[in-house]
Amino acid sequence: MDKVPHYIDLSTHSLNKYGEELCGDKVEIIKGNKRTIVALADGLGSGVKANILATLTSKMMITMLEQGADLKETIDTITNTLPICQVRKIGYSTFSILDIDDELNLRIIEYDNPPAFIVRRGNLLNVPKTQLTSFDKKVWITEFKLELGDTITLCSDGVIHAGVGVMLNHGWEWQHVGDFIAEQEIASADKLTRRLLETCNKLYDGKPGDDATVVTLRVRDPQITQILTGPPDLKEKDSITVRNFMHQSGAKVVCGGTAANIIARELGREIETEIEYIDPFVPPTAHIKGIDLVTEGVLTLKMTLNKLISINNCCDEPVFHKKDGVSRLLKLLIEDSTHVHFWVGRAINPAHQNPDFPRDLSIKINIIREIEKELKKMGKFVHIFYTD
Amino acid sequence: MEIKICIGSACHLKGSYDVIKNCQSYIETNQLESEIELKSAFCLGRCSEAVSVQVDGSEVFSISPETAEGFMKMMHTRIKL
Repeated sequence: MDKVPHYIDLSTHSLNKYGEELCGDKVEIIKGNKRTIVALADGLGSGVKANILATLTSKMMITMLEQGADLKETIDTITNTLPICQVRKIGYSTFSILDIDDELNLRIIEYDNPPAFIVRRGNLLNVPKTQLTSFDKKVWITEFKLELGDTITLCSDGVIHAGVGVMLNHGWEWQHVGDFIAEQEIASADKLTRRLLETCNKLYDGKPGDDATVVTLRVRDPQITQILTGPPDLKEKDSITVRNFMHQSGAKVVCGGTAANIIARELGREIETEIEYIDPFVPPTAHIKGIDLVTEGVLTLKMTLNKLISINNCCDEPVFHKKDGVSRLLKLLIEDSTHVHFWVGRAINPAHQNPDFPRDLSIKINIIREIEKELKKMGKFVHIFYTD
Repeated sequence: MEIKICIGSACHLKGSYDVIKNCQSYIETNQLESEIELKSAFCLGRCSEAVSVQVDGSEVFSISPETAEGFMKMMHTRIKL
C-alpha cells in the first residue's frame, strides 16, 4: 500500500431541535483520493421544510462542485431552484463548503453560516476573506494551505446560539466557541465534534432550541492499528502470518485466545492472562511483550460492535476510563486510530463447534464486517486482510 | 500447585468468571494462598468440555461453577497427600 502523507479525519453530527424528528441541517461529504468536499446547509425554519431545503442545497452544491461546475454558477442554480416558503415568501438555506485538494489547499465557501473556526497549534486563526456576489447573495471565500494538525470546524447557528435566554444571555457566541475549540487537545475529529455538541446540548439544558450541527476536519498523521483476529487454516502458515503481522507499522492488537497463543508460541514469548475480571461480562485481557493489546476474540468483538452501534446512534462523547478489553479496544479504535487493518484467518475454531455456542457468534468474519461498517461511519479507513 | 482456568470464549460463556470466584473463595477460606497458585489461560483446546481447568501444566479437568468447590476440595486433598 502507498504511504499516505496525511489523513483527513472528518466527522459530523447533529442535534435536532427539541421535539423534531428531522434535522433542518444537512451535511454532505464526498471523500475522494484527489479531493474532499464537505457541504453543510442549514435550511430556513425547522422540521420537514428545513430538512428539504438543506438537503437540496447541500446535495446540489456538492454534486455540481464535484463535477467541476463554477462556483458562481452553482450558487445561482441553488438560488433559482429552492422552493419558496409559503409563509416567509423566500426559499433560503445558508451553507458552508470545504473543498480540499490532495495537496491540502483548502477553499472555504460561506454564505450566512457562522464563520468557520480555523485552529492551528492551539490558536484561532483569522484568515482574510474575499467576497463574491451572486444575485444579492454575499458569499465569502477563504483560501489557504492546510498544515498537519490544523482543525477546521463548521457549525450551524444552533451551535453559537446554544443556551440563549436559558443559560446564557447571548448564547454560546462565536468567539467563545472558537476559544473552546482551540483549548481542546483532542486527536480525533469525531471526539471533538461530539464534545462540542454535548456542550451545546448542556447549554440548551437538553432541549435544543434549534438544530445544531458540527463538522470537524482535522489533518492528521495516519495512525494505524493492526488487529489479528484469527489464525490461518493451515498451521504451516502460522509462522509467516505472525512474522508479517509483527513487521507492520502501527499499534498491534490480538483479538482471540488461540491467535494469542500462536503469537506467543511463534515469538517465543510468554503470554500472561489476567485472572481478575474488571467487568464480569468481558473476558479478561492478556499480555504479550510487543503487542499493545491482547483480548479474547469473538465475545469481545461482539461487545465492541454493539458499543460502536450505540455510539453511532447518538452524538454524546463516549468515555472509556475502564480497563477491560472492550473499553481498551474501543478507545484504541475510536480515539487513536485513523486506519484499522483486520487480519482474519479461516481456521475453524473448535470452541465454536460446541453445539451450545451461540450461533451468531460462530462466524467471526460477519462481526468484523459489521465493525468495519460502524468504523467507516466514524470516518476511519478500514481494511480486512485474509491471511489465507 | 498451579491451577489454570480457561477464560477463552467458550469457557467464558460457560462461567469462567464464577469458577474463578468460587475457587478464589475456597483458597481464601482454607488459607491455601501459599500452596495453590490460581491463574487464567486462553484456550486450552478443550472447548467442548468447558470450563477447562489445567493442573500443573498437564491434566485438564472440566468443571462448572457448581462443581468448582468439589474440585478444589479434591485438589486440597492431593496437596495434603
